[in-house]
Formats: sequence, C-alpha cells, structure tokens
Amino acid sequence: MHTAQRALALAGPDSQVTVIHERSLLSRFARSAPTQATEVDDVTVEILALCDGHTATASTNLLDEQGLRATAQRAAAAARASASAGPGAYPGLAGPGPALPAHHGFDAETARLDPERAGAALRETFAVAAEHGLEAFGVWTVGDVETAIASSTGVRLSDRVTDAFMKVICRDADGCSGFASATAAAASGIDPVTVARRAASKVSPEPLAQLGPGTYPVVLEPEAVGLLLEFFGALALNGLAHVEGRGALSDKLGTHVATPAISLCDSPCFPRPLPRAFDFEGVAKAPITLVQDGVAQAVVHDRRSAALAGGGARSTGHAAQPGGSPFGPVPTNLVLAGGGAAGVDELAAPIERGIYVTRLWYVNPVREKETLLTGMTREGTFLIEDGKITRPLRDVRFTDSILRLLSATQALTQEQRLVTEGEFYGRRFAHGVVCPALRADGFRVTGATT
Amino acid sequence: MLGLLTELMARAPARCSYAEARHVTTDQEDLLVRNGRVEQIDSESADGIGVRVRAGGGWGFAATRDTTNAGMERALTRALAIAESQPATLVGPLAPVPPARGHWSCAYHQDPLAISLEDKLELLFAAEAALRTDTRIVRSEAECSSRRVRSAFASTEDAALTQERVECGAAISAIALDGDELQVRSYPSAHGGSAACAGWEHVLSFDLVQHAPRVAAEAIELLTAAQCPEGRATIVLDGDQLALQIHESIGHALELDRVLLGEASYAGTSWVSPTDLGALRYGSEQLNITADATLPGGLGSFGWDDEGVAAQRTPLIEAGVLRAALSDRQSAAAIGLERSGGCARADGFARQPIVRMTNVSIEPGDAGALEDLIADTGEGLFLQTNRSWSIDDRRLHFQFATEAAREIRDGELGRLLRSASYAGVTPQFWRSMDAVCSAREWRPRGLGNCGKGEPGQLMRVSHGTAPARFRDVQVGVA
Repeated sequence: MHTAQRALALAGPDSQVTVIHERSLLSRFARSAPTQATEVDDVTVEILALCDGHTATASTNLLDEQGLRATAQRAAAAARASASAGPGAYPGLAGPGPALPAHHGFDAETARLDPERAGAALRETFAVAAEHGLEAFGVWTVGDVETAIASSTGVRLSDRVTDAFMKVICRDADGCSGFASATAAAASGIDPVTVARRAASKVSPEPLAQLGPGTYPVVLEPEAVGLLLEFFGALALNGLAHVEGRGALSDKLGTHVATPAISLCDSPCFPRPLPRAFDFEGVAKAPITLVQDGVAQAVVHDRRSAALAGGGARSTGHAAQPGGSPFGPVPTNLVLAGGGAAGVDELAAPIERGIYVTRLWYVNPVREKETLLTGMTREGTFLIEDGKITRPLRDVRFTDSILRLLSATQALTQEQRLVTEGEFYGRRFAHGVVCPALRADGFRVTGATT
Repeated sequence: MLGLLTELMARAPARCSYAEARHVTTDQEDLLVRNGRVEQIDSESADGIGVRVRAGGGWGFAATRDTTNAGMERALTRALAIAESQPATLVGPLAPVPPARGHWSCAYHQDPLAISLEDKLELLFAAEAALRTDTRIVRSEAECSSRRVRSAFASTEDAALTQERVECGAAISAIALDGDELQVRSYPSAHGGSAACAGWEHVLSFDLVQHAPRVAAEAIELLTAAQCPEGRATIVLDGDQLALQIHESIGHALELDRVLLGEASYAGTSWVSPTDLGALRYGSEQLNITADATLPGGLGSFGWDDEGVAAQRTPLIEAGVLRAALSDRQSAAAIGLERSGGCARADGFARQPIVRMTNVSIEPGDAGALEDLIADTGEGLFLQTNRSWSIDDRRLHFQFATEAAREIRDGELGRLLRSASYAGVTPQFWRSMDAVCSAREWRPRGLGNCGKGEPGQLMRVSHGTAPARFRDVQVGVA
C-alpha cells in the first residue's frame, strides 16, 4: 500500500494505482528427475489515468521516484490522447466500498516459498511412480501475491493470497499416461503422495481401445468440467460480450439453458475456491448466482460493461484488469453445485458404451456464440462398457457445445473438487473452479488418435 | 549492466558447475480502437535480471527486479539454494559453445516507440472507421503494438553480449452479427495481427485503411454464405493459415525437449523420436522447412539465443525428409549432437530459457503466383485466416477452422463459404502437399502468442510461407 500511495501522489487527479507483488516458486520434473525450478520476485505498479471518459494505463517495476513519475506521465499522456477524439464511455473510478469480507486465502507457511519443500514433494512423487514402475512428470508450485489499490476517489485496498498447485503425470514405457492434480490456498493442502497415486492409478497395462467419430455418453472428471466452465465464463458469462450481443446467453437470461441439475455461481469468498477480496477496479467481490436450476440468471460485469448494459446494471466485481479488460469481465471463482452421485463409478453405471475423460487439452472455441469448442482428451481416457470403467482408450477429439453438454447433463457427483489449469502466464493470478464430475449424453467425438 | 553481470559470473564458478545471468529491459505499447473509441492504450516497462545455475542435482533459476549488485548476488544465492534443494539426479553435459561476445540489433527505419500516440491513433481511427459499413458490424477494431527489448547476457563460460530488438505489428477485424449467426474477418491475420522485428514501416506496409472495406464486406457476406461442405477436398491454404499449420504441426513437433519428454507435463511430447532424424519421411518432396534465426525481420531472429549460442540457419526438413530438430544446449547434448541448434529463448527476465522455435519457414516452391496455383487446382477450397486451432499433445492430430473459405471452381475463386474447417494427421497431411507457390508469394508472418513452459512463457516467432495445396483433406468437420 505504501508503494501504491507513493505512486498515487505522483499521478494525475483522476487515477488509480494498482501494485502487485508476486513471489513464486515453481519446480518442474520429467522422467522422475527435476528439470527446471523458477523463483520470481517482482513488483508491478500499474497506473490508470482517466480523461473525459477514457482510460489509459502504464506500468513499471521501477519503484524509485523517477520510475514512478515517468510511468504516471505516460499514463496521463495516453489518457489525453485517447480523449482527443471525443468523450469516452468509462463511468469513472469506483469509490470506497463497504468493509471487505474476510477470507482464508493466505497461508504464512506457504509464503515462505521453501525450496526444500519443493524438493521433498518431488522425491515423494518419484517414489510413488517408481513403486508402480512408472516415470513421473509434472509441477509443484506455490505463490504469494499481494495486491494493493489506491485511487484518487479514496479507495485504499490490499489483499494478500497464497496458492499451491501440483500436477502429476505418470507414464509407462509405452507412453500410456495418467493425470492428477491438486490445488489449495496452502501448500499443506496438497499431499504429493495422494496426487501421484491418483495419477498412477490411471495408467493401465491393458492395450488401448479405439472409438471412431460419433456421439457417446460421457463421464467428465472435475478437471474436464472445470475447463469447460472456464470457457463458459468467457463465452457466456462475460458481460461485455453479452451487451454486444456476442455472448452465448444474449437474449437468454431467465430461460432454461441447461438441465435443472445445473446450478452455477461465482463465490469469491467461499472457502474452497481461491478467494479474492476485490477486483482490479477495487470493487468488492460478492457471490453471484449465474445459473440456477438450469435457468440463466445473470452475467458478470466490470464497471465498463455495466455502464454499457445500462438499466441500472452495476459492476459485480469482475474486472480482469484496472479500468476493465478489453476482453470484458470474467468470473474467476466459479462453483458448480454437486449432485447426488456417490462417485464416478455411479455416474458410469447406466452407460452401456461410453467414454470416461480425465482431462481436456488444447481446447479452443470454434463458434463462440454457440459455445462450440474443439479439443482433445489427454492422460486418462477410458472406455465405459456395461456400466463399468474398463479399458484405456486412445485419446479422442471432441467438437461440442458447452450449452448442449449442460443441457444433456444427467447426473453429478456429490463431491466437488477445486481444479485449475495451473498456467501462470504473466503476473501470477491463481484461480480455479469448484465442480463435481458429471455424466452427459451425446458427447460428440469428431476424431481419434492412432 | 553487462559489467555487473560479468562480475557476478566471475564470482559464481566456485559455487556451481555453470551459471548465466540475463538483464532484460522491455518496453511495450499496445493501442486498440474499437467501435469509434479508443478502447486501450497500455504501456509497460519491465526491468530485471534472471540468474540460472546448475548445481547439485539440477537447475535453479531466480528472477528479481532488483538489479543492484546486492540484488544480483541475492538472486544468485537463491538460484543456488533452489538448485541444491532438488532431488539429486545424473546431469548430462551441455553442448559446447564458444564464448559469445559482441552486440546485435535488428534493422529498422522508424522506431515504433518514437511514433507519437496521435499519429498511431490517426491511422487506427481511419482503419476502424472504414470497417463500420453496416449496422450488422457489431465490433470493429484496429490495433497496433510496439515493443523494444534490450538484453545483456553473461555466463561462467565467458559469454558477454548485448542485444536490442524492435518489433511492431497491427491488425484490423470486424465481427458481424445477425441473430445467432456471428462471423469475423481479420487482416492481415487474426489473433492480434502480424508482427515483425522491424520499424513502423512494417505497420504502414499493411495499408489497413484500404483493406478495411473488403474485410467488413466479407464479414457481412459470411453471415448468409453457404456452409462449408463436409467431406474430402483439395484445399489451398493461404500464407497466414499455413503459418499456423507449420507452427503447430511441424515447429512444435520438432522441439527436442518435447521429443525427449521434457515438456510432457504441459505442452506435451511429440510423435517424432530422436531416431527419426535423418530418416523420417515427414512430408512430400515439395516440403522443405528451415529454422532460420538470421531471417531479416523475423520475430525469431537474434544475434545469439538466450544461452549465448550464435544464430544459425538449419534445414529441418529437406525434400520431405526430417533432417534436424530445434534444440538447446542440454537437449542437443542429450542425443549426442556436437552443438546446440541455438533455440533457447526466454520470455523476459523472469523466465528461464527453454527450447523454442526461431523462424520456422517453408521454402518457396515452383507453383508460381497464387492465381497460378488456383488455376492449376481445378476444384477445391481456398482457406483464409485462422479462426480456431487445436492439436493433440503429440502434435499429430489437428483441427483448424478458418474465418473464410472460397470455392475453387474451374480454376477460379468462387463464392464465399462460412464456418470452414479441416482436420488431419500430421505426416499424412504434409505428404499430401503437392504444390507451394513461388518466392514472390513468400513472406514472413509473425505470431506473438506462442505459449509454452511452466511458469508460462509467451514467445514471438515468424514463419515464412507461400500458399500451398493439399490433396484429399477432411473438411467441414465442425
């Protein structure tokens, strides 16, 4: 906060300063040996300047007065340049809000970034893989990120969160592999042995079966469900896309868009997702119901998309960057309600012939408004035969719509899991989805590996 | 700064078997005009050092914004502690490299970061306005980016060098919407446009304003265009889509760290094995692929890679036969190569170098101009501008969608088709290529968003391409 206030003092009269201090440690491994270990300690100061309804940002990691002053001047000059063509639509900076809700997203022990702990996690993982005659690949990582916002409207906010993530891929000599991961706010919430054993259990010595193109009943593990929901957030729940008519829920709020078993919310303070106190416009996070009993209820907004929406719409605290992202707001704490199934075996029980999917890979939208995606399965795809998960299956390509899958969802497990991709491009922003496994009908397979 | 790095490296040999330090300063500016307003002006400056060491059982890397002598020493100490905490393992040698010394910078005429915001906005406003030709264009955008990266590198093997690169790029795009039908057209390419290691003259060469009405008109036309048919067809890929096809199904597949399973935890592995080098028929005899870090204007060009290995030009595939892979010092040594392929690259100061593409290009063929190739094709589809891409973790099975397709009938381009897509298997697909346009159609296409590594790194690469023809391809899959 001290740095944010120093920068604010140098910034123009209508400004917001966001300071993010990342400390992180990430250890990679392959073939049961360490490969790369990366520690980052960096601070980003981002100054948002406003001018006649326009915003512009400039950022630096030079924290001396000269660096901060130059950055403030760049932001102000850019905002003035933006305004040269006429007034903009940005509704102005947020003012101070009510007291922030408390959360349990920081763990002091995790913030130590202890490399010995990383080394121990790798040793335990290698031992489990060796027990099974397999090689281990993956990542163990922890992060400590402190965010402070100070603005000319009097906002003074700070939040410090930690996160821990581990993924393990066990692989046999023939290339058959199994995946497992765990995410928590604290490193103590991840047991490397449990993760490694789960990954090893997905490696089957049986020969790979193959399925051709067609539609099949499917059981999706939480990792697969979580990735689909992340895309759903970007394509359907993004308030900017919604306002522009590009969103998958445009003109569909208040209507059934999924089976009644689907209830989805964004719960930033719920203990199980990685919690957040406020968004990048300094708006306090709050729970929001997005789909209730299959009926679309709301999309998420930042201040910019809310202003465009009109009709009294307000930011829901989902700005992805200061001043709002050009791509629009996105939910980062999605929670999909669980169902009644005791586990994945119960989900598979009614399926005569279908597919069991551990995770999805290289998923990209084909037609955004239809939430039509394509991608591959990876590291743990199995055939379901006569109600049982039986043989490993060659990975398949799917091309299917998220909305169609949510409409064809037949059952969900009681148990939910916090899942994340664990990709840390740019400044670390750990987030995840809490979701169960689910069974859906008609999963569209458009190709298979050989 | 190079002096401080050199002094740091002089203190390191007593504590580790190898160390290197990079100081990187990045200045970047991104502008976006949307629907008649400035949507984004972001400028970013970052400055810091990354120290990588090899000690005990493995590698350690520490990055910090503190570039004082004390900050560098702390980073070195931390990198050592991280390396030594790793489980002990047998470490192989690094491919030898002569000590790199000197300075390299890319050629450019007009520094893009010296062009005023006002001048840039004038160009973007003009281009964006020319896109707004129909009320069904719900989003019209013009954007540009400018970037300068200065770096210094020193190692315990006596490397001491500095480099400077300047990059810029631009694009326009129009999204048309009618009911639930949404179509998009972009120019000169999708996903943020085509960038180059060049000055502002590169952006001006696109002539965005002149192309904008065509881009908008095609987006509108696509709303009511016929659906791309499903089945098997001869396809001609334009240079932009071919660049991504090369990137995904050749470039990544030939990264030696993937081949050796070092990237299995994230980006994946490869369908290629080390024993395939020199023997595998990757594609048809028309397929000649080169990795060239010396290509003028290439985003993957440099003087030395981020391990201090000099830039080189390496044939990867000759007449369809696999000849070489993309390697760094560690992966090259692992398969017994005498030298690194010079493909170690890092994204800024806070990431360590990993195996990356440089400029991986298809060599021009002898099919003449695009119109000659179309005339020679008879019946088929001409696919333009990527809209969606996906490939499996071995880089074998792919599916791409393009913004637009045009029928080829009787050797001429015909009507526009919407929602075009095609799919294939890497070696079969490249073996089906029977023609590549000639050198006059060949040019580098810059991609700025290649993701790989953990923590994630975005790399910038170029692919030189000319339109090419493929026979009997599965189309209309999505």
